[in-house]
Amino acid sequence: MTPRILLGPQSPVANLRQAVEALGPDGPVVVISAGWRDSEGELDELREELGRPLEDLMLYRRAERIFAGEPDLLGLHRERQDKLQELQALYRVRLGPTITAARKLMRVNAQQDLLRLEQRAAIAQLRALDRHHLRRIQAIHRDFDARRAELRIPAATAEREAVQHQLAQAGLVLIAGGHVAVLLNRMRLFRLSELLAQKPLIAWSAGAMALCERIVLFHHHAPQGRRDAELLDAGLGIVRQKVLLPHAKTRLDWSNRKRMGLFSRRFAPAACCTLDNGSLLHLEGDRLVATAKSFAITRSGGKRVVKPR
Amino acid sequence: MNPHIAKLMQNGTPTAAAVDGFIRDHEFPLVEPGNVTFVFRGAADEVILRRWISGFNTALPMQLLEGTDLWALTMDLPTGSRFEYKFEVVRGADRELLLDALNDVVAHDPFGANSVCQGFGYKRPAWTLPDPDARPGSLVQLPVESAAFAERRDVDLYLPARFKRSRSYPLLVVHDGSDYLRYADLKAVLDNLIHYLEIPAMIVALIQSPDRLVEYTGDPRHARFVAEDLLPALAARFPLAGEPNARGLLGASLGGVAALHTASLYPDRFGQLLLQSGSFAFSDLGHHQKGPAFDPVVRFVNGYRKNPFPLAQKIYLSCGIYESLIYENRSIVPLLQSQGMQVLFEEARDAHNWENWRDRLRGALTWLFPGPLWMVYE
Repeated sequence: MTPRILLGPQSPVANLRQAVEALGPDGPVVVISAGWRDSEGELDELREELGRPLEDLMLYRRAERIFAGEPDLLGLHRERQDKLQELQALYRVRLGPTITAARKLMRVNAQQDLLRLEQRAAIAQLRALDRHHLRRIQAIHRDFDARRAELRIPAATAEREAVQHQLAQAGLVLIAGGHVAVLLNRMRLFRLSELLAQKPLIAWSAGAMALCERIVLFHHHAPQGRRDAELLDAGLGIVRQKVLLPHAKTRLDWSNRKRMGLFSRRFAPAACCTLDNGSLLHLEGDRLVATAKSFAITRSGGKRVVKPR
Repeated sequence: MNPHIAKLMQNGTPTAAAVDGFIRDHEFPLVEPGNVTFVFRGAADEVILRRWISGFNTALPMQLLEGTDLWALTMDLPTGSRFEYKFEVVRGADRELLLDALNDVVAHDPFGANSVCQGFGYKRPAWTLPDPDARPGSLVQLPVESAAFAERRDVDLYLPARFKRSRSYPLLVVHDGSDYLRYADLKAVLDNLIHYLEIPAMIVALIQSPDRLVEYTGDPRHARFVAEDLLPALAARFPLAGEPNARGLLGASLGGVAALHTASLYPDRFGQLLLQSGSFAFSDLGHHQKGPAFDPVVRFVNGYRKNPFPLAQKIYLSCGIYESLIYENRSIVPLLQSQGMQVLFEEARDAHNWENWRDRLRGALTWLFPGPLWMVYE
């Protein structure tokens, strides 16, 4: 079974070294830090922390270079991003009232036998909306992939082959956090999904989110007040049946159990697992073999310790 | 009577030592839910609380506590309120305006300093204080040749930490920019909000008029300076994002008028407006009562009220409830909304001062220029 270790933010205390030692890499350690965007490849602190050489795949910079030389590809990429943004705005139009209705039903006092069915129906609507949104997103990606395949871009092909070659040699891949959409986008652009699925991986924060089947954006304390969790996209699908929640301590409103319970039930059967500083989920295939400081949100909005199975 | 004062006075006239102890053991003013009690100690014929607020009696006489040199006054104050004040102390023919010697919290403005009353429930927002973890941006000066004013104007620029010429940045032009830096802690606010990813890294141009009573009252030369002198000069030297929704104007008081007026003359240039306690004076009937300096403001606002049009994509307005301009601001909001622009209006339990404007910056900037926080999980 290919091992994968998922971590929380590496600040203030890093547990990456412990994870790397647990896997004992056989071969070069390769890093994907595209989520850092302009700071991609600034690995000095990481090298010092791990005490070993690291190579960055430089997906962000490579993509910028390709886009700069290939206006057709850039145009196609921009068109997709514009569509995704517009679709996300349209999704929000329906998400707002749907989630408000579900939340109201979680709070209302009524006969339990009547209420329970209404609550289930409201959650089912929410889940149906999320499923619909995901299908629409995937259709946009398929359209992009088909149209991109028609473009003959030797420079892009050469960069992609170079990345895939470098990745194929790796004994361990580290995927850093950062901007989750940028990170996912770049890994998708270089078609790394299949190769990554065969490699031992350690990913933290946004890096871990990107490996899941679904990427859920969340922040209950956003500066403009209450904001509901949104489905952003499908992830690479390497980690299954989990919605990962970095910075859960500060981003989630744990004092509001009804809200947290709704969060958990909306994304079930996937487990909503927190990834805070010090958290660790060690998977062999789909099986959790070691854990630390990670909690799953329960149906009632509480938390339970995630344990190895 | 305030319970602490009642306790001090419960056995009749307190001794000087008891008064000393009372002063030593309490923080002033004495804040309770729903009210606040001001205390002045000293010999005087009369002591008056001067509140820099509008819409209420700004001068309230304080009462001498019998047998002591303590003067006190309790007033109602809703939760979350904040305002600035001084004591007017009358001794014979002399009248003196003094800071509250018992209160260390002081606010500064171009006219000096005031004591600050922080009512029950008010707390200075943490994001207005320098955060040692936030990488600081830098301030540089750019000389701008102004055709509009036929002279050179020096403009201070805030460049975000890790500024890179290869990136493109939103731009915010701040009227009374030096005052925003000095009295509203704008630099710390920008450093923090950028560090917290609540707003994107941005370039901020801090303009300061040598004659704001003329240039900020609807002077077309000012609008031309901002749109035709400053903007091209910045675009030539710095990597600015090209779209209007990545450009904003900020102004408070007359600065708010200047920002709105500039946007009205150049509606395609600035997509985001941040207007704080704007002096949007108008007259519905007869002549306004605000004095001749406001004639051009009233002409402009009356004209816009008569023929409104879209002049930005998003407009954030804020105003203190304890300032007379709340009337003008509440009046202009539906007018702006009627033009299809997104408008967010916030009222604060505060008055016409820089710390009110400072405390609203997070809500305003994160609404106008939302940062990548939602997408970033480090």
